[in-house]
Amino acid sequence: MAEFEETRFFKVKPDREEETREIILKVYMALKEKGHNPVSQIAGYLLSGDPTYITSHNNARSLVRKVERDEILEELIRAYVREAKAM
Amino acid sequence: MSKLVIRGRRRLHGEVTIGGSKNSSVAIIPAALLGDGTSILENIPRISDVAVFAEILKDLGAVVTMDGTTMTVAPNGFVSHIAPYELVRKLRASYYLMGVLLAKFGEAEVGLPGGCDIGPRPVDQHLKGFRALGADVNVEGGVVKLKAKKLVGAPVYLDFPSVGATINIMLAASRAEGITVIENAAKEPHVVDLANFLNAMGARVQGAGTDVVRIRGVKNLTGASHTVIPDDIEADTYMMAAVATGGDVTVKNVITKHLEPVTAKLREAGATIEENGDYVRVIGPERPKALNVKTLPYPGFPTDAQQPLVAVLSRSEGVSVVQESIYENRLGYVSELVKMGAKIRVEGRTAIVEGVPRLVGAPVKANDLRAGASLMIAGLSAEGVTEVYGLEIIARGYEMVDEKLRSIGADVEVRPD
Repeated sequence: MAEFEETRFFKVKPDREEETREIILKVYMALKEKGHNPVSQIAGYLLSGDPTYITSHNNARSLVRKVERDEILEELIRAYVREAKAM
Repeated sequence: MSKLVIRGRRRLHGEVTIGGSKNSSVAIIPAALLGDGTSILENIPRISDVAVFAEILKDLGAVVTMDGTTMTVAPNGFVSHIAPYELVRKLRASYYLMGVLLAKFGEAEVGLPGGCDIGPRPVDQHLKGFRALGADVNVEGGVVKLKAKKLVGAPVYLDFPSVGATINIMLAASRAEGITVIENAAKEPHVVDLANFLNAMGARVQGAGTDVVRIRGVKNLTGASHTVIPDDIEADTYMMAAVATGGDVTVKNVITKHLEPVTAKLREAGATIEENGDYVRVIGPERPKALNVKTLPYPGFPTDAQQPLVAVLSRSEGVSVVQESIYENRLGYVSELVKMGAKIRVEGRTAIVEGVPRLVGAPVKANDLRAGASLMIAGLSAEGVTEVYGLEIIARGYEMVDEKLRSIGADVEVRPD
Protein backbone atom coordinates (compact mmCIF):
# COMPACT_ATOMS: atom_id res chain seq x y z
CA MET A 1 0.00 0.00 0.00
CA ALA A 2 3.10 2.21 -0.15
CA GLU A 3 1.81 3.96 -3.21
CA PHE A 4 -0.96 5.59 -1.13
CA GLU A 5 1.41 6.98 1.51
CA GLU A 6 2.42 9.88 -0.70
CA THR A 7 0.38 13.07 -0.64
CA ARG A 8 -1.61 13.23 -3.82
CA PHE A 9 -3.29 16.14 -5.54
CA PHE A 10 -6.73 15.49 -6.95
CA LYS A 11 -7.94 18.02 -9.48
CA VAL A 12 -11.53 17.05 -10.19
CA LYS A 13 -13.56 20.25 -10.21
CA PRO A 14 -11.28 22.36 -12.40
CA ASP A 15 -11.51 19.69 -15.12
CA ARG A 16 -15.26 20.00 -15.06
CA GLU A 17 -14.92 23.76 -15.25
CA GLU A 18 -12.62 23.34 -18.21
CA GLU A 19 -15.12 21.04 -19.92
CA THR A 20 -17.92 23.53 -19.29
CA ARG A 21 -15.79 26.33 -20.73
CA GLU A 22 -15.01 24.28 -23.84
CA ILE A 23 -18.66 23.46 -24.37
CA ILE A 24 -19.73 27.11 -24.02
CA LEU A 25 -17.14 28.14 -26.62
CA LYS A 26 -18.05 25.35 -29.05
CA VAL A 27 -21.76 26.13 -28.76
CA TYR A 28 -21.04 29.84 -29.17
CA MET A 29 -19.06 29.23 -32.35
CA ALA A 30 -21.66 26.85 -33.81
CA LEU A 31 -24.40 29.45 -33.27
CA LYS A 32 -22.23 32.17 -34.79
CA GLU A 33 -21.42 30.03 -37.83
CA LYS A 34 -25.14 29.52 -38.43
CA GLY A 35 -25.78 33.27 -38.33
CA HIS A 36 -27.49 33.42 -34.92
CA ASN A 37 -26.81 35.90 -32.15
CA PRO A 38 -24.96 33.49 -29.83
CA VAL A 39 -25.36 35.56 -26.67
CA SER A 40 -29.12 35.90 -27.10
CA GLN A 41 -29.53 32.21 -28.01
CA ILE A 42 -27.47 30.92 -25.07
CA ALA A 43 -29.33 33.30 -22.72
CA GLY A 44 -32.62 31.92 -24.05
CA TYR A 45 -31.43 28.37 -23.40
CA LEU A 46 -30.29 29.17 -19.87
CA LEU A 47 -33.61 30.83 -19.05
CA SER A 48 -35.92 28.23 -20.57
CA GLY A 49 -33.91 25.00 -20.60
CA ASP A 50 -35.15 24.37 -24.13
CA PRO A 51 -32.41 23.04 -26.47
CA THR A 52 -34.40 24.47 -29.41
CA TYR A 53 -32.33 27.61 -28.81
CA ILE A 54 -29.14 25.76 -29.68
CA THR A 55 -28.37 24.78 -33.26
CA SER A 56 -27.73 21.15 -34.16
CA HIS A 57 -24.78 22.41 -36.28
CA ASN A 58 -21.49 20.79 -35.18
CA ASN A 59 -23.41 18.70 -32.65
CA ALA A 60 -23.86 21.80 -30.44
CA ARG A 61 -27.35 20.79 -29.29
CA SER A 62 -26.16 17.47 -27.88
CA LEU A 63 -23.04 19.05 -26.48
CA VAL A 64 -24.84 21.71 -24.46
CA ARG A 65 -26.80 19.05 -22.61
CA LYS A 66 -23.64 17.37 -21.34
CA VAL A 67 -23.40 20.02 -18.62
CA GLU A 68 -26.15 21.32 -16.38
CA ARG A 69 -27.46 24.83 -16.93
CA ASP A 70 -26.37 25.89 -13.43
CA GLU A 71 -22.81 24.80 -14.24
CA ILE A 72 -22.86 26.98 -17.36
CA LEU A 73 -24.22 29.93 -15.37
CA GLU A 74 -21.58 29.48 -12.66
CA GLU A 75 -18.81 29.43 -15.24
CA LEU A 76 -20.20 32.55 -16.92
CA ILE A 77 -20.33 34.40 -13.58
CA ARG A 78 -16.82 33.25 -12.66
CA ALA A 79 -15.49 34.45 -16.02
CA TYR A 80 -17.33 37.76 -15.71
CA VAL A 81 -15.98 38.46 -12.23
CA ARG A 82 -12.45 37.43 -13.28
CA GLU A 83 -12.64 39.82 -16.22
CA ALA A 84 -14.15 42.66 -14.16
CA LYS A 85 -11.46 42.31 -11.47
CA ALA A 86 -8.71 42.39 -14.08
CA MET A 87 -9.93 45.71 -15.47
CA MET B 1 -59.85 8.48 -50.09
CA SER B 2 -57.58 5.66 -48.96
CA LYS B 3 -57.04 3.32 -46.06
CA LEU B 4 -54.07 1.83 -44.27
CA VAL B 5 -54.20 -1.96 -44.12
CA ILE B 6 -52.18 -3.38 -41.22
CA ARG B 7 -51.35 -7.01 -40.50
CA GLY B 8 -50.47 -6.79 -36.84
CA ARG B 9 -48.52 -8.65 -34.13
CA ARG B 10 -45.13 -7.99 -35.68
CA ARG B 11 -42.42 -6.73 -33.36
CA LEU B 12 -41.13 -3.49 -34.84
CA HIS B 13 -37.36 -3.27 -35.08
CA GLY B 14 -34.80 -1.05 -36.75
CA GLU B 15 -34.35 2.68 -37.20
CA VAL B 16 -36.78 5.40 -38.16
CA THR B 17 -35.88 9.03 -38.84
CA ILE B 18 -38.21 11.74 -37.65
CA GLY B 19 -39.16 14.67 -39.91
CA GLY B 20 -39.57 18.34 -39.13
CA SER B 21 -42.15 19.51 -36.65
CA LYS B 22 -45.63 20.01 -38.04
CA ASN B 23 -46.55 22.47 -35.32
CA SER B 24 -43.40 24.54 -35.91
CA SER B 25 -43.76 24.49 -39.68
CA VAL B 26 -47.33 25.75 -39.73
CA ALA B 27 -46.26 28.78 -37.66
CA ILE B 28 -42.93 29.44 -39.42
CA ILE B 29 -44.22 29.15 -43.00
CA PRO B 30 -46.70 32.07 -42.67
CA ALA B 31 -44.14 34.00 -40.59
CA ALA B 32 -41.88 33.99 -43.67
CA LEU B 33 -44.37 36.42 -45.24
CA LEU B 34 -43.29 39.05 -42.69
CA GLY B 35 -39.84 39.39 -44.24
CA ASP B 36 -38.99 41.74 -47.09
CA GLY B 37 -36.82 39.07 -48.71
CA THR B 38 -36.76 35.36 -49.45
CA SER B 39 -36.69 32.83 -46.62
CA ILE B 40 -35.30 29.33 -46.90
CA LEU B 41 -36.90 26.83 -44.54
CA GLU B 42 -35.24 23.45 -44.07
CA ASN B 43 -36.52 20.21 -42.53
CA ILE B 44 -40.10 20.99 -43.52
CA PRO B 45 -42.18 17.79 -43.23
CA ARG B 46 -43.85 16.39 -46.34
CA ILE B 47 -47.38 16.43 -44.92
CA SER B 48 -50.64 17.68 -46.34
CA ASP B 49 -51.05 20.53 -43.81
CA VAL B 50 -47.81 22.01 -45.16
CA ALA B 51 -49.02 21.59 -48.74
CA VAL B 52 -52.25 23.44 -47.90
CA PHE B 53 -50.30 26.26 -46.27
CA ALA B 54 -48.11 26.56 -49.37
CA GLU B 55 -51.28 26.92 -51.47
CA ILE B 56 -52.60 29.63 -49.15
CA LEU B 57 -49.35 31.59 -49.44
CA LYS B 58 -49.43 31.30 -53.23
CA ASP B 59 -53.03 32.50 -53.24
CA LEU B 60 -51.91 35.55 -51.26
CA GLY B 61 -49.33 36.34 -53.95
CA ALA B 62 -46.13 34.82 -52.54
CA VAL B 63 -43.85 32.53 -54.56
CA VAL B 64 -43.42 29.21 -52.79
CA THR B 65 -41.30 26.31 -53.96
CA MET B 66 -40.57 22.97 -52.32
CA ASP B 67 -37.48 20.88 -53.02
CA GLY B 68 -37.39 17.75 -50.88
CA THR B 69 -37.72 19.06 -47.34
CA THR B 70 -36.61 22.62 -48.19
CA MET B 71 -39.23 25.29 -48.76
CA THR B 72 -38.43 28.68 -50.24
CA VAL B 73 -40.85 31.53 -49.60
CA ALA B 74 -40.48 34.75 -51.60
CA PRO B 75 -43.06 37.25 -50.43
CA ASN B 76 -42.42 39.80 -53.22
CA GLY B 77 -45.88 39.53 -54.77
CA PHE B 78 -47.63 39.24 -51.43
CA VAL B 79 -50.28 41.96 -51.58
CA SER B 80 -53.57 40.62 -50.27
CA HIS B 81 -54.76 40.88 -46.69
CA ILE B 82 -57.71 38.54 -47.36
CA ALA B 83 -57.02 34.85 -46.75
CA PRO B 84 -58.76 32.40 -49.13
CA TYR B 85 -61.62 30.85 -47.14
CA GLU B 86 -61.76 27.53 -49.03
CA LEU B 87 -58.16 26.78 -48.06
CA VAL B 88 -58.24 28.38 -44.62
CA ARG B 89 -61.06 26.14 -43.45
CA LYS B 90 -58.92 23.06 -44.15
CA LEU B 91 -56.46 23.61 -41.33
CA ARG B 92 -56.49 24.97 -37.85
CA ALA B 93 -53.14 26.72 -38.04
CA SER B 94 -54.40 29.04 -40.78
CA TYR B 95 -55.34 31.35 -37.93
CA TYR B 96 -51.69 32.40 -37.76
CA LEU B 97 -52.44 34.45 -40.87
CA MET B 98 -54.34 36.84 -38.58
CA GLY B 99 -51.14 37.91 -36.81
CA VAL B 100 -49.07 37.89 -40.00
CA LEU B 101 -51.48 39.91 -42.18
CA LEU B 102 -52.19 42.36 -39.37
CA ALA B 103 -48.47 42.96 -38.83
CA LYS B 104 -47.76 43.29 -42.54
CA PHE B 105 -50.74 45.32 -43.80
CA GLY B 106 -52.43 46.68 -40.69
CA GLU B 107 -55.50 44.70 -41.65
CA ALA B 108 -56.57 41.09 -42.08
CA GLU B 109 -59.62 39.06 -43.06
CA VAL B 110 -59.32 35.40 -42.11
CA GLY B 111 -62.12 32.84 -41.89
CA LEU B 112 -62.46 30.99 -38.61
CA PRO B 113 -60.23 27.94 -38.94
CA GLY B 114 -60.95 24.28 -39.56
CA GLY B 115 -58.84 21.34 -38.36
CA CYS B 116 -59.59 18.30 -36.24
CA ASP B 117 -62.93 18.00 -34.49
CA ILE B 118 -61.73 17.62 -30.91
CA GLY B 119 -64.01 20.14 -29.22
CA PRO B 120 -64.31 23.92 -29.10
CA ARG B 121 -61.04 25.73 -29.50
CA PRO B 122 -62.01 29.40 -29.32
CA VAL B 123 -59.72 32.13 -30.59
CA ASP B 124 -60.78 34.64 -27.92
CA GLN B 125 -57.28 34.81 -26.41
CA HIS B 126 -55.83 35.61 -29.85
CA LEU B 127 -58.38 38.39 -30.36
CA LYS B 128 -57.74 39.75 -26.87
CA GLY B 129 -54.06 40.08 -27.80
CA PHE B 130 -54.80 41.86 -31.09
CA ARG B 131 -57.10 44.29 -29.27
CA ALA B 132 -54.39 44.99 -26.69
CA LEU B 133 -52.05 45.93 -29.55
CA GLY B 134 -54.62 48.45 -30.82
CA ALA B 135 -56.50 46.51 -33.50
CA ASP B 136 -60.24 46.78 -34.07
CA VAL B 137 -61.64 43.26 -34.06
CA ASN B 138 -64.91 42.20 -35.68
CA VAL B 139 -66.20 38.70 -36.28
CA GLU B 140 -68.78 38.71 -39.07
CA GLY B 141 -70.21 35.65 -40.81
CA GLY B 142 -67.45 33.36 -39.60
CA VAL B 143 -64.72 35.76 -40.73
CA VAL B 144 -62.37 37.58 -38.35
CA LYS B 145 -61.75 41.15 -39.56
CA LEU B 146 -58.85 43.02 -37.99
CA LYS B 147 -57.78 46.60 -38.64
CA ALA B 148 -55.23 48.88 -36.98
CA LYS B 149 -53.85 52.27 -38.01
CA LYS B 150 -50.81 51.39 -35.99
CA LEU B 151 -49.96 48.42 -33.76
CA VAL B 152 -48.47 49.46 -30.45
CA GLY B 153 -46.79 47.04 -28.03
CA ALA B 154 -48.70 46.31 -24.83
CA PRO B 155 -48.84 43.85 -21.95
CA VAL B 156 -51.07 40.84 -22.61
CA TYR B 157 -52.01 38.35 -19.90
CA LEU B 158 -53.33 35.08 -21.30
CA ASP B 159 -56.10 33.42 -19.28
CA PHE B 160 -54.44 30.07 -20.04
CA PRO B 161 -51.15 29.28 -21.80
CA SER B 162 -52.60 29.02 -25.30
CA VAL B 163 -50.00 28.03 -27.89
CA GLY B 164 -52.00 29.55 -30.76
CA ALA B 165 -52.55 32.86 -28.98
CA THR B 166 -48.91 33.10 -27.87
CA ILE B 167 -47.72 32.56 -31.45
CA ASN B 168 -50.29 34.87 -33.03
CA ILE B 169 -49.46 37.71 -30.63
CA MET B 170 -45.71 37.19 -31.23
CA LEU B 171 -46.33 37.46 -34.98
CA ALA B 172 -48.44 40.61 -34.70
CA ALA B 173 -46.10 42.25 -32.17
CA SER B 174 -42.93 41.58 -34.19
CA ARG B 175 -43.46 44.76 -36.20
CA ALA B 176 -45.47 46.77 -33.67
CA GLU B 177 -44.17 49.97 -32.14
CA GLY B 178 -42.68 49.39 -28.67
CA ILE B 179 -42.61 46.38 -26.41
CA THR B 180 -45.21 43.64 -26.02
CA VAL B 181 -45.06 41.39 -22.98
CA ILE B 182 -47.06 38.14 -23.07
CA GLU B 183 -47.60 36.77 -19.59
CA ASN B 184 -48.73 33.22 -18.90
CA ALA B 185 -47.39 32.39 -22.36
CA ALA B 186 -47.24 28.85 -23.75
CA LYS B 187 -43.80 27.21 -23.40
CA GLU B 188 -44.04 24.60 -26.16
CA PRO B 189 -40.89 23.95 -28.25
CA HIS B 190 -42.52 25.31 -31.40
CA VAL B 191 -43.00 28.69 -29.68
CA VAL B 192 -39.22 28.76 -29.22
CA ASP B 193 -38.62 27.59 -32.79
CA LEU B 194 -40.76 30.43 -34.14
CA ALA B 195 -38.92 32.93 -31.90
CA ASN B 196 -35.62 31.66 -33.32
CA PHE B 197 -36.87 32.20 -36.87
CA LEU B 198 -38.28 35.67 -36.13
CA ASN B 199 -34.99 36.66 -34.47
CA ALA B 200 -33.05 35.40 -37.49
CA MET B 201 -35.29 37.75 -39.55
CA GLY B 202 -34.26 40.66 -37.35
CA ALA B 203 -37.01 40.59 -34.75
CA ARG B 204 -36.26 40.92 -31.04
CA VAL B 205 -38.13 38.21 -29.18
CA GLN B 206 -36.90 37.15 -25.76
CA GLY B 207 -38.12 34.71 -23.16
CA ALA B 208 -39.75 32.18 -25.51
CA GLY B 209 -39.96 28.85 -23.72
CA THR B 210 -40.70 30.60 -20.42
CA ASP B 211 -44.06 31.95 -19.27
CA VAL B 212 -43.10 35.55 -20.09
CA VAL B 213 -42.28 36.42 -23.70
CA ARG B 214 -41.08 39.94 -24.56
CA ILE B 215 -41.23 41.23 -28.11
CA ARG B 216 -39.60 44.53 -29.00
CA GLY B 217 -41.15 45.52 -32.32
CA VAL B 218 -38.96 46.45 -35.28
CA LYS B 219 -39.85 48.37 -38.46
CA ASN B 220 -38.69 45.78 -40.94
CA LEU B 221 -37.84 42.12 -41.08
CA THR B 222 -35.65 40.42 -43.67
CA GLY B 223 -35.79 36.94 -45.16
CA ALA B 224 -33.81 34.30 -43.26
CA SER B 225 -32.66 30.68 -43.35
CA HIS B 226 -33.97 28.37 -40.69
CA THR B 227 -34.00 24.65 -39.91
CA VAL B 228 -37.23 23.48 -38.29
CA ILE B 229 -36.86 21.33 -35.15
CA PRO B 230 -37.77 17.61 -35.25
CA ASP B 231 -41.40 16.65 -34.65
CA ASP B 232 -41.76 15.55 -31.03
CA ILE B 233 -45.22 14.05 -31.55
CA GLU B 234 -44.14 11.99 -34.55
CA ALA B 235 -41.25 10.72 -32.41
CA ASP B 236 -43.63 9.98 -29.51
CA THR B 237 -45.84 8.00 -31.89
CA TYR B 238 -43.04 5.74 -33.14
CA MET B 239 -41.79 5.26 -29.58
CA MET B 240 -45.27 4.11 -28.59
CA ALA B 241 -45.52 1.85 -31.63
CA ALA B 242 -42.30 0.17 -30.45
CA VAL B 243 -43.73 -0.31 -26.95
CA ALA B 244 -47.10 -1.55 -28.23
CA THR B 245 -45.44 -4.28 -30.31
CA GLY B 246 -42.74 -5.28 -27.81
CA GLY B 247 -40.27 -4.04 -30.41
CA ASP B 248 -36.79 -2.53 -30.46
CA VAL B 249 -36.76 0.71 -32.42
CA THR B 250 -34.22 3.51 -32.62
CA VAL B 251 -35.94 6.83 -33.27
CA LYS B 252 -33.45 9.20 -34.90
CA ASN B 253 -33.31 12.98 -35.36
CA VAL B 254 -35.05 13.96 -32.13
CA ILE B 255 -34.50 16.47 -29.34
CA THR B 256 -34.64 14.11 -26.37
CA LYS B 257 -35.57 16.91 -23.98
CA HIS B 258 -38.86 17.40 -25.83
CA LEU B 259 -39.72 13.71 -25.43
CA GLU B 260 -39.21 13.60 -21.66
CA PRO B 261 -42.91 13.59 -20.64
CA VAL B 262 -43.54 10.57 -22.87
CA THR B 263 -40.21 8.88 -22.14
CA ALA B 264 -40.95 9.02 -18.40
CA LYS B 265 -44.37 7.42 -18.83
CA LEU B 266 -43.17 4.71 -21.22
CA ARG B 267 -40.43 3.78 -18.74
CA GLU B 268 -43.12 3.55 -16.06
CA ALA B 269 -44.99 1.22 -18.41
CA GLY B 270 -41.97 -1.09 -18.49
CA ALA B 271 -40.11 0.06 -21.60
CA THR B 272 -36.33 0.33 -21.67
CA ILE B 273 -35.32 3.64 -23.21
CA GLU B 274 -31.79 4.68 -24.01
CA GLU B 275 -31.25 8.35 -24.80
CA ASN B 276 -28.14 9.42 -26.63
CA GLY B 277 -27.54 12.73 -28.37
CA ASP B 278 -30.18 13.04 -31.06
CA TYR B 279 -31.76 9.60 -30.89
CA VAL B 280 -33.63 7.30 -28.52
CA ARG B 281 -33.71 3.51 -28.56
CA VAL B 282 -36.97 2.07 -27.27
CA ILE B 283 -37.33 -1.57 -26.26
CA GLY B 284 -40.88 -2.53 -25.43
CA PRO B 285 -41.95 -5.00 -22.74
CA GLU B 286 -44.00 -8.15 -23.49
CA ARG B 287 -47.01 -6.32 -22.10
CA PRO B 288 -46.97 -2.73 -20.85
CA LYS B 289 -47.89 -1.93 -17.25
CA ALA B 290 -50.95 0.20 -16.52
CA LEU B 291 -50.45 3.97 -16.06
CA ASN B 292 -52.18 7.03 -14.67
CA VAL B 293 -51.76 9.98 -17.01
CA LYS B 294 -53.12 13.51 -17.22
CA THR B 295 -52.52 15.75 -20.23
CA LEU B 296 -51.12 19.19 -19.45
CA PRO B 297 -49.47 22.09 -21.28
CA TYR B 298 -45.75 21.61 -22.00
CA PRO B 299 -43.67 20.35 -20.23
CA GLY B 300 -46.55 18.16 -19.05
CA PHE B 301 -47.77 15.08 -20.92
CA PRO B 302 -48.86 16.33 -24.38
CA THR B 303 -52.51 16.09 -25.38
CA ASP B 304 -51.37 15.06 -28.88
CA ALA B 305 -49.81 11.92 -27.40
CA GLN B 306 -52.87 10.97 -25.34
CA GLN B 307 -54.64 9.08 -28.11
CA PRO B 308 -51.62 7.00 -29.17
CA LEU B 309 -50.90 6.20 -25.51
CA VAL B 310 -54.41 4.86 -24.90
CA ALA B 311 -53.84 2.40 -27.77
CA VAL B 312 -50.68 1.18 -26.01
CA LEU B 313 -52.48 0.88 -22.66
CA SER B 314 -55.33 -1.13 -24.23
CA ARG B 315 -53.02 -4.15 -23.96
CA SER B 316 -51.57 -3.28 -20.56
CA GLU B 317 -51.61 -5.37 -17.39
CA GLY B 318 -54.03 -3.64 -15.05
CA VAL B 319 -56.30 -0.61 -15.19
CA SER B 320 -55.07 2.74 -16.52
CA VAL B 321 -56.69 6.12 -15.98
CA VAL B 322 -56.08 8.74 -18.67
CA GLN B 323 -57.39 12.26 -18.09
CA GLU B 324 -57.66 14.71 -20.99
CA SER B 325 -57.44 18.19 -19.52
CA ILE B 326 -56.75 20.29 -22.62
CA TYR B 327 -59.60 19.55 -25.05
CA GLU B 328 -63.23 18.81 -24.33
CA ASN B 329 -63.83 16.18 -26.97
CA ARG B 330 -60.69 14.18 -27.49
CA LEU B 331 -61.87 10.71 -26.53
CA GLY B 332 -64.24 10.08 -29.44
CA TYR B 333 -61.86 7.56 -30.99
CA VAL B 334 -62.25 5.20 -28.02
CA SER B 335 -65.31 3.58 -29.62
CA GLU B 336 -63.09 2.51 -32.53
CA LEU B 337 -60.56 0.91 -30.15
CA VAL B 338 -63.45 -0.93 -28.48
CA LYS B 339 -64.30 -2.45 -31.89
CA MET B 340 -60.84 -4.05 -31.74
CA GLY B 341 -61.51 -5.65 -28.37
CA ALA B 342 -60.24 -2.88 -26.07
CA LYS B 343 -62.06 -2.46 -22.77
CA ILE B 344 -62.31 1.28 -22.27
CA ARG B 345 -64.92 3.29 -20.43
CA VAL B 346 -65.19 7.05 -20.87
CA GLU B 347 -66.36 9.21 -17.97
CA GLY B 348 -66.38 12.87 -18.91
CA ARG B 349 -62.88 13.66 -20.06
CA THR B 350 -61.36 10.53 -18.52
CA ALA B 351 -60.71 7.18 -20.19
CA ILE B 352 -60.57 4.17 -17.87
CA VAL B 353 -58.65 1.48 -19.70
CA GLU B 354 -58.87 -2.08 -18.49
CA GLY B 355 -55.98 -3.78 -20.25
CA VAL B 356 -56.72 -6.91 -22.29
CA PRO B 357 -54.16 -9.53 -23.40
CA ARG B 358 -54.95 -9.10 -27.08
CA LEU B 359 -56.60 -6.80 -29.58
CA VAL B 360 -58.20 -8.11 -32.75
CA GLY B 361 -57.99 -6.39 -36.12
CA ALA B 362 -61.12 -4.63 -37.43
CA PRO B 363 -62.15 -1.93 -39.88
CA VAL B 364 -61.91 1.39 -38.00
CA LYS B 365 -62.15 5.05 -38.94
CA ALA B 366 -59.80 7.92 -38.07
CA ASN B 367 -61.83 10.99 -37.28
CA ASP B 368 -58.91 13.18 -36.37
CA LEU B 369 -55.16 13.15 -36.82
CA ARG B 370 -54.00 11.73 -33.50
CA ALA B 371 -56.97 9.36 -33.35
CA GLY B 372 -55.57 7.99 -36.61
CA ALA B 373 -52.20 7.48 -34.92
CA SER B 374 -53.93 5.69 -32.06
CA LEU B 375 -55.76 3.29 -34.38
CA MET B 376 -52.57 2.67 -36.32
CA ILE B 377 -50.74 1.66 -33.14
CA ALA B 378 -53.65 -0.53 -32.06
CA GLY B 379 -53.57 -2.20 -35.48
CA LEU B 380 -49.83 -2.85 -35.22
CA SER B 381 -50.30 -4.68 -31.92
CA ALA B 382 -53.56 -6.48 -32.85
CA GLU B 383 -54.00 -9.98 -34.19
CA GLY B 384 -55.24 -10.18 -37.77
CA VAL B 385 -55.95 -7.37 -40.20
CA THR B 386 -56.89 -3.82 -39.28
CA GLU B 387 -58.11 -1.37 -41.88
CA VAL B 388 -57.73 2.26 -40.82
CA TYR B 389 -60.00 4.39 -42.97
CA GLY B 390 -59.22 8.08 -43.42
CA LEU B 391 -55.52 7.84 -44.20
CA GLU B 392 -55.73 11.41 -45.55
CA ILE B 393 -56.32 12.61 -42.01
CA ILE B 394 -53.19 10.80 -40.78
CA ALA B 395 -51.21 12.27 -43.72
CA ARG B 396 -52.01 15.74 -42.38
CA GLY B 397 -49.39 15.23 -39.69
CA TYR B 398 -47.33 12.10 -40.43
CA GLU B 399 -45.04 12.06 -43.46
CA MET B 400 -44.68 8.84 -45.47
CA VAL B 401 -46.20 6.90 -42.61
CA ASP B 402 -46.56 3.62 -44.52
CA GLU B 403 -42.96 3.75 -45.76
CA LYS B 404 -41.59 4.57 -42.33
CA LEU B 405 -43.59 1.77 -40.69
CA ARG B 406 -42.46 -0.74 -43.31
CA SER B 407 -38.83 0.33 -42.72
CA ILE B 408 -39.13 -0.92 -39.14
CA GLY B 409 -40.75 -4.19 -40.02
CA ALA B 410 -44.48 -3.42 -40.04
CA ASP B 411 -46.70 -5.16 -42.56
CA VAL B 412 -48.73 -2.23 -43.88
CA GLU B 413 -50.00 -1.06 -47.21
CA VAL B 414 -52.07 1.79 -48.57
CA ARG B 415 -55.15 0.83 -50.52
CA PRO B 416 -57.90 2.89 -52.09
CA ASP B 417 -60.99 3.13 -49.91
